[in-house]
Amino acid sequence: MSDKNTQIADINDKMDIRLKNVRFSYLHSETGSVAALSDVSLSVRQGTHAALLGRNGSGKSTMAKLINVLEMPQSGTVLVMGRDTANDKDFWYIRRSCGMVFQNPDNQIVGTTVEEDVAFGPENLGIPTEEIRRRVDEALKYVGLSDLARRQPSQLSGGQKQKLAIAGILAMQPQILLLDESTSMLDPISRDEFLAVVERLIKEKNMTVLHITHDMAEACLADKVFVLDHGKLAMSGTPGEIFSQVKKVRALGLDVPVFAELAYEVSQRLGIEMEQQTLFSRASALAGIRKMLDFVADGKISNPLPGYCPAGIAKESRKVIEVSHLNHVYDKKDKPSLSDISFSVNEGEIFAIIGHSGSGKTTLISHLNGLLRPKDGEIVIFPKENAAPLNTRKNADVRQIRRVVGLLFQYPEYQLFEETVERDIAFGPSKMGLDPDEIKRRVSEALTLVGLDDTFLKRSPFELSGGQKRRVAFAGVLAMDPDILVLDEPAAGLDPTGRREILSYAEKLKKRGKTIILVSHNMDEAARFADRILVLKKGEVRAIMTPQQLFSDLSVIRDLGLVEPETVACLTELKEDYPLINTCFFRVEDAAGELIRAAARGGDL
Amino acid sequence: MMKDVSIGRYYQGDSVLHRMDPRAKIVLCLIYMIVVFMMTTAEGILATFLIVTFLCVLSAIPFSTILDSVRPIVFLLLFILVLNILTIRTGNPIVSWGFLKITDDGVLKAGLMALRLFLLIVSTSILLTLTTTPLLMADSLESLFGPLKKIKVPVHEMAMMMSIALRFVPTLVEETDKIMKAQASRGAEYDTGNILARARGYVSVLVPLFVSAFKRAEELAIAMDARCYRGGEGRTKLHVLHMRGKDYFWLILLASLAGGLICIDFYFKIS
Repeated sequence: MSDKNTQIADINDKMDIRLKNVRFSYLHSETGSVAALSDVSLSVRQGTHAALLGRNGSGKSTMAKLINVLEMPQSGTVLVMGRDTANDKDFWYIRRSCGMVFQNPDNQIVGTTVEEDVAFGPENLGIPTEEIRRRVDEALKYVGLSDLARRQPSQLSGGQKQKLAIAGILAMQPQILLLDESTSMLDPISRDEFLAVVERLIKEKNMTVLHITHDMAEACLADKVFVLDHGKLAMSGTPGEIFSQVKKVRALGLDVPVFAELAYEVSQRLGIEMEQQTLFSRASALAGIRKMLDFVADGKISNPLPGYCPAGIAKESRKVIEVSHLNHVYDKKDKPSLSDISFSVNEGEIFAIIGHSGSGKTTLISHLNGLLRPKDGEIVIFPKENAAPLNTRKNADVRQIRRVVGLLFQYPEYQLFEETVERDIAFGPSKMGLDPDEIKRRVSEALTLVGLDDTFLKRSPFELSGGQKRRVAFAGVLAMDPDILVLDEPAAGLDPTGRREILSYAEKLKKRGKTIILVSHNMDEAARFADRILVLKKGEVRAIMTPQQLFSDLSVIRDLGLVEPETVACLTELKEDYPLINTCFFRVEDAAGELIRAAARGGDL
Repeated sequence: MMKDVSIGRYYQGDSVLHRMDPRAKIVLCLIYMIVVFMMTTAEGILATFLIVTFLCVLSAIPFSTILDSVRPIVFLLLFILVLNILTIRTGNPIVSWGFLKITDDGVLKAGLMALRLFLLIVSTSILLTLTTTPLLMADSLESLFGPLKKIKVPVHEMAMMMSIALRFVPTLVEETDKIMKAQASRGAEYDTGNILARARGYVSVLVPLFVSAFKRAEELAIAMDARCYRGGEGRTKLHVLHMRGKDYFWLILLASLAGGLICIDFYFKIS
């Protein structure tokens, strides 16, 4: 008996986080209580990295809050480092042992300077001044922010702010790190740096990490993956176990990493049962693909479905925007934020602008509808065939330009302000002086286009979910019926399903003849959707090419400090074995087709 | 860029005044305010002018920067100057033109009046706003008002609120800029169109700004909770304010100079 008890205690010791039959529901003013978690049991071992996946609203954040004693379960128990969160005397111990990094970097920084912010936690714990000093210096050094100790937080980049958040937690010397979509607002480079710090914490400090994320590649870094669906634990296992169940993962509204998807697609086309557990990393997925392709090459599988080669030629059509020799300087002391930018956009194309944070993307697009006026250089808009061109320099043209060029900034949900969705979407059209019937028609049409029905019209935009708000904001711009749409990271921060939907609107609009300028730092998406890509680096245009041209030479990509799309990376690696592979395919289906085609032809040779 | 908005007009530096304990500076600032207002004689005000100049030199801040801090009240100064010149009718007339009469006494008194206001602004800038970061100011107010905690005044909470407000000013300025641009893209007008259109333009900025400020406040509260914030009780500090020998030295020196000024003024008043 005592033996059994020690055994249980032993398990609890090694498990840093343990949830047993946890139930939690929020009180909602209209619908009564809404279950956020129902009957969830899981555990995370000390010093391991667990990823928590699920659609928006599936209860992920709630779970993090339960662990950090920011909420209490209605039933069931939450054990953190063997201590029950329901136990009052362990409250501060648990909270001190769990550090939490939230999604929005701006809303978790308390201090007016970087070091003050790191000191905030230890100050709360009542740690002596000299010890705080030591911990602050050490934590800042660990995340690489020592040089910025006296800066104001507003002077930091998003990535630096999230590292600051980690430093603030490290200074409290916790055992558990909870990341609540901490990487979703970061650009790829900042994200990799942030994740590198997290990996080091696991290895060097033996910390336990629970990482809530929408990024499947990030989930693959974990030792264990949990998938929540409507407050229930739908799946759990190693990344390989989870992502080999492609259909199930998709049904839960999630994605699988591109390499896993590629392996799955190849296996489907060849009708070969895929080996389980091989899909946790690119290397293992590629090994799996090689095996399958060998069947094709050896002629064991005859008559594979033919792949096809999409034409990579940009459309030739008339110009709608012409930017020539645009320069922009924010502050005389600063370096120019844009220098000698020239390019033109053609009617009906999707034109992607890619570049790192701070490369001048937002400044550039702010010029396109006259929010910023060029002091040096010119931007001319050609609204319709034979219509007079509009110049953003001319005051008289600007109003017209804003009707022709619709601009949707990053995280556009903040622009909602009216009492009802209908009135909010109607804001733009009513400014254009349209008659009420026309406005009504447009509002309804825009709403349909973003996949919401008329029942939303009378609702308040503030009670919608994040993804719905995003769509209403999108509709607000669409209702102005602009010929040219500029979309700044339209899918940022959404879950995989939300991402796919928002981006599908871009394609839908293209089919209707709209011209789309898509700003993105997601290389996969830019390559997949764009007809042409403009690469912006430090305020300069470094390349304007079709995705096929741009990604056919990886040395160029590296030179620009970019990473190639995952499909290209996979194809490039497989090219070593199958030299006939053309690496420029950006859709998984196309890439799979190409692999099979190349393997089959390789067999013929 | 909007990002670099700083609160207050702190001028980065490492002078005696920059390094002085902010509480000493607040006390000195009060003393000098009182002294400047007590000055009645021309000699007294001139002496104050010399001492304030000495403070300016001590601060090692360029004179142009210091004068910048007076810029917002230039019109007020001119107004006081002109009004006094025109209304003081004692002394010998210099110009007499219709009902306008300008006297030497009027010019002198008006000049002194304006100079006094000028000195008031300069001395507070030098002693406080230009040489002290807003955060230190909040800290020292918490420390100076510390005794009020005994009668249940939430001094720590107020200081915390002040410092968080300071922290979020640049964030909200940036956000305002972003929202204004987004709404302008949807056709909102802030500087053209009739009053109604403009007002509606501003509503479209203010509503989202408030909504977002509340959301930020809520998230920040959770983040503070998560970092074990539990009010001022038992809290320690990274930067503890310490009155050191040097601080006492300068406090006493500058306070005695202020005392000297009062003596000078009194001397010339009775003679």
